[in-house]
Amino acid sequence: MGQNEPVPSLLLIEDDDAIRTALELSLTRQGHRVATAASGEDGLKLLREQRPDLIVLDVMLPGIDGFEVCRRIRRTDQLPIILLTARSDDIDVVVGLESGADDYVVKPVQGRVLDARIRAVLRRGERESNDAASFGSLVIDRAAMTVTKNGEDLQLTPTELRLLLELSRRPGQALSRQQLLRLVWEHDYLGDSRLVDACVQRLRAKVEDVPSSPTLIRTVRGVGYRLDPPQ
Amino acid sequence: MTDEQGGIRGWAAVRKGMLSGLRWTSLRLRLVVVFGLVALTAAVSASAIAYWLNREAVLTRTQDAVLRDFEQEMQNRAGALPEHPGRDELQHTAGQMAAGGQQFTVLLVAQDRDGRTVYGSSGGLNGFSIEDVPASLRAAVNKKQPLTAGNRSPYHLYWQRTVDDGTPYLVAGTRVIGGGPTGYMLKSLEPEAKDLNSLAWSLGIATGLALIGSALLAQAAATTVLKPVHRLGVAARRLGEGKLDTRLRVSGTDELADLSRTFNNAAAALEKRVADMAARDEASRRFVADMSHELRTPLTAITAVTEVLEEELEFEGGGIDPMIEPAVRLVVSETRRLNDLVENLMEVTRFDAGTARLVLDDVDVADQITACIDARAWLDAVDLDAERGIHARLDPRRLDVILANLIGNALKHGGSPVRVSVREDDDAVVIAVRDHGPGIPEDVLPHVFDRFYKASASRPRSEGSGLGLSIALENAHIHGGEITAANSPEGGAVFTLRLPKDASEVARRDAEEAAEQAGGAAKGKGA
Repeated sequence: MGQNEPVPSLLLIEDDDAIRTALELSLTRQGHRVATAASGEDGLKLLREQRPDLIVLDVMLPGIDGFEVCRRIRRTDQLPIILLTARSDDIDVVVGLESGADDYVVKPVQGRVLDARIRAVLRRGERESNDAASFGSLVIDRAAMTVTKNGEDLQLTPTELRLLLELSRRPGQALSRQQLLRLVWEHDYLGDSRLVDACVQRLRAKVEDVPSSPTLIRTVRGVGYRLDPPQ
Repeated sequence: MTDEQGGIRGWAAVRKGMLSGLRWTSLRLRLVVVFGLVALTAAVSASAIAYWLNREAVLTRTQDAVLRDFEQEMQNRAGALPEHPGRDELQHTAGQMAAGGQQFTVLLVAQDRDGRTVYGSSGGLNGFSIEDVPASLRAAVNKKQPLTAGNRSPYHLYWQRTVDDGTPYLVAGTRVIGGGPTGYMLKSLEPEAKDLNSLAWSLGIATGLALIGSALLAQAAATTVLKPVHRLGVAARRLGEGKLDTRLRVSGTDELADLSRTFNNAAAALEKRVADMAARDEASRRFVADMSHELRTPLTAITAVTEVLEEELEFEGGGIDPMIEPAVRLVVSETRRLNDLVENLMEVTRFDAGTARLVLDDVDVADQITACIDARAWLDAVDLDAERGIHARLDPRRLDVILANLIGNALKHGGSPVRVSVREDDDAVVIAVRDHGPGIPEDVLPHVFDRFYKASASRPRSEGSGLGLSIALENAHIHGGEITAANSPEGGAVFTLRLPKDASEVARRDAEEAAEQAGGAAKGKGA
């Protein structure tokens, strides 16, 4: 990270005082600007006032829970969300990913891991090259980091955008879930393949004509996913 | 077509029903045999007595009538003959005698004037000749009895029953007292025999019917006893299979109803017992789950802060007082251990509660092992013998947990180098982890996968949580795989992990079971 880069601002929504304080301390030391909220309602209010770059969201919250907060944010906003789940219970992870989260970290979370995830998520929005590609009615402008379908702008989260970019860079070539986890999420070899599946589902909902019978992002059984060039 | 099929199916059903009804349980067999024997004895003895009584009555009546007639004829007609009759006279008289109502054939034997024996037969019956009369009868007839007070005539009438060509005959003979011809008569008893035969047939049929009836009765009796016994047997089997809500319908007040009631009480008691135990088990399991859960929140805060402390330690020219540095290091390392322990506890409770699920992905096994070793900086201590290209569909995180525990355990107890080899075996991947340590004592071998198992109280406290191998085993099981521990003949312990190449089927079945349970629980709650 260069010196002239702006310090990323985070919003941490966590109800437990000790965890909030400790994580704030840890993340601040890692070089982030951290705003905190103790409930989902407070968090949503703060989100409107401050426009952070990323949200770290606890799942178990009094009042409206983390999933609901996540869904409400996604209705209007595509900014990255990392979930803190107290349980690695599968249902939590699945519900969290379905409600639009970009990544998740299981408690007890190590500050360094969380920091690495935050940086990986933030990097997804960075520009890399200056060309454009089109797949049928879908046009990916890598310079402007925008995707249009039939001339209309698509609202993609940085993760969805990065996934689409990685797939579009190798059209017609199948990428395994583990490969995608490394490329998009920058996870180590133990990445959770459900992250990929959930993100592909969300991406299909936005770019496919009929999301239930995809023609662009195809599933390759036993391997992973492939972006098909238009016929 | 359908009708025919229906018919066939119906018939098959009927036959099946009959077969099950006739299943020769020993009790049923015994009942039928005893009933049959009783019926047979009764019917046979009654029939035999009836037959013999009838036979005697019929034969005696016919015989008496015939003999009386014959005697009369002998006196009236043969007695009227001259002392030495001629052949023709004899023949004529015999014919007259036989013309009576009794339809017997008469043979008269006399001496003519020249002392020759002449015969006179009434003919018929293929010619009744003296050869047809048994010698013993002839002798008895011609034997002159001494006259006494009790016996007033020198000759008597004798009779005998003979069978010739399957036809029974009555043969009788006597002499006219005071000199005269000897007369024999032959009477066919065929009509009587026929009557008696048909009587025997009817009695035989009656006996057969009695036997069949007794068998049916025995079946019915056996069924009334065996049906409840059968029901009881089925219920007991269901109970044994774990369906503890099995109960019997109690009807009546007999001994079998009593038995059913006892069974129901026993089943109810058992069900309650099991429910109590399950509840207690569940409560303690929930306690552990809740506890590790509750530990997590403060641990998360502590972990985040200890990292800050750790960075402070690593910072050159650190801002931490050297006096308290060891204390900070201790807190940092013990916090990490506590984290691992809680993590493992959570994992164990998930397995116990059955909420652990597989997240499957297609992986190259050799790559996974390399990554696992690499991530833990074990590359120098581990000797890997695996070819790339062995693909499997499994949960990579769980495979990593298994490998990390097995290799970590081997490094800790066996010492390096640890040898990890991979081979394919039909539909499975077999990974063997072998160390070069002293091996596992035989008495410890069965317990290596036990939770918190310590080989001996005096053994120094190991660095692990005591749950590692147990978690590894659970993770193998959830894949439908297995881990076995053994000692290598060349020394050192060998842990062999066997995982199916495609765990999708296991995962799918697991998910279905979970859905079923959740559905059942929801229903239970709704009721």
